[in-house]
Amino acid sequence: MIPGDFQPQKPTGNQLAKLGVLGVVLLGIFIGIVLVLTFVISSWMGRPVIFGHDGPDQPIEFPHETHVEELGMDCTFCHRTVEKEAAASVPATGLCMTCHSSVGDDLEGITKMRSLYEDGRSIHWVRVHRVPDHVHFVHEAHIRYFSEKDGVEAKDVCATCHGDVASMDKVQQNRALKMGDCVNCHKQNNAPTDCVTCHY
Amino acid sequence: MVDSNKWGMVVDIDRCTGCQGCVVACQSENNIPINLEEHFNQRRAIQWIRIERYWEGEYPDVKARFIPIMCQHCGSAPCEPVCPVYATYHNNEGLNVQVYNRCIGTRFCANGCPYHVRFFNFWEPEWPESLKNQLNPDVTVRSRGIMEKCSFCVQRIQRSTRESERDNEILEDGDRGLNPACVNACASNSLIFGNFNDPDSTVSKMKEDAMQEGGRGYRLMENLGTDTNVIYLRKVGESVVEAPHG
Repeated sequence: MIPGDFQPQKPTGNQLAKLGVLGVVLLGIFIGIVLVLTFVISSWMGRPVIFGHDGPDQPIEFPHETHVEELGMDCTFCHRTVEKEAAASVPATGLCMTCHSSVGDDLEGITKMRSLYEDGRSIHWVRVHRVPDHVHFVHEAHIRYFSEKDGVEAKDVCATCHGDVASMDKVQQNRALKMGDCVNCHKQNNAPTDCVTCHY
Repeated sequence: MVDSNKWGMVVDIDRCTGCQGCVVACQSENNIPINLEEHFNQRRAIQWIRIERYWEGEYPDVKARFIPIMCQHCGSAPCEPVCPVYATYHNNEGLNVQVYNRCIGTRFCANGCPYHVRFFNFWEPEWPESLKNQLNPDVTVRSRGIMEKCSFCVQRIQRSTRESERDNEILEDGDRGLNPACVNACASNSLIFGNFNDPDSTVSKMKEDAMQEGGRGYRLMENLGTDTNVIYLRKVGESVVEAPHG
């Protein structure tokens, strides 16, 4: 054996244990970084990239497809205040009951809705579209502007921001609705970009 | 109709009875947290509008003088250039705007303001359970660590302008709830709100009348050159003295 030559040494049990611990710690850090990155990317895009990206679960499955595409109802039939007020509003169960007191007897969701109606309680829908904090978005002004500009009815304006909800089985947010998005659109349409237009 | 609006207020000191109605109206309109005694003791109470009381004369011939003081919406505001994050700025309608989501709470603006009308949220705002449903949905609830101040009820201005645009009507004085909450609440019409750019508005006429030679009009701390959008009209009567604030 030449002195100074490389001699492979078998790691001792103690060293193996240390390496194992190091490996587990590194794996933990890696998973942590991936989770943080996912969170950051999700918040940057304005919607989750892994979990729940196809929209949240609702207490009652409301198929927009059936109501809008098959039955041809307008968005404004249920979201009644959208042309008049800031909020688009979700209807009370009483409006559902105008049809569903006699339609859809064998459906689970309808049974649930009817019992809520009889108890005088409301459905706790999970909110899908949410603008960032400190923003006051007014549906009425936007609907009015776009329906005048494009010469279309109010119900055809909704898809500009909400996407094709009519064909969605489960409603999901398809536009980030972040401030850059708002400001771009405001600039293109010569709408005011003063802070106090939305933030007050 | 004028191209751009310049919102402002005229405060007639002669009419003010010091009833604090404006203070209460403002508190409830703008989701201002409830000020407890300890908040006042620490000088940390939040009041977007307050009534300052002064005594005039010697006992027994004393007279109480009241001056409602809110943000003066200065044309050349000392609070604006000191903000490092542009959270307070002047918009083209003459309003001194506080942008809550930009504010990082340096409190430089409150130090700069000579009228003491900017308030810092030292605590997370709290309301008793029974009052939670009275919060105004049109106004942001400010969280701990940011500044706030009178906005001339900008939510009402925005709503009124939007509604008048919708109906293709010209927005006039007091239309569609344009007035701030304090103006609506004032029982003696001591506060008048309107558009200074519109020559036919009540405030424009009052300003023109008051600011001419020998008129009753003055601005608070006019010597500072803040060019405020609030005009005060001094007391009428035998003992006309300039309010000690000036």
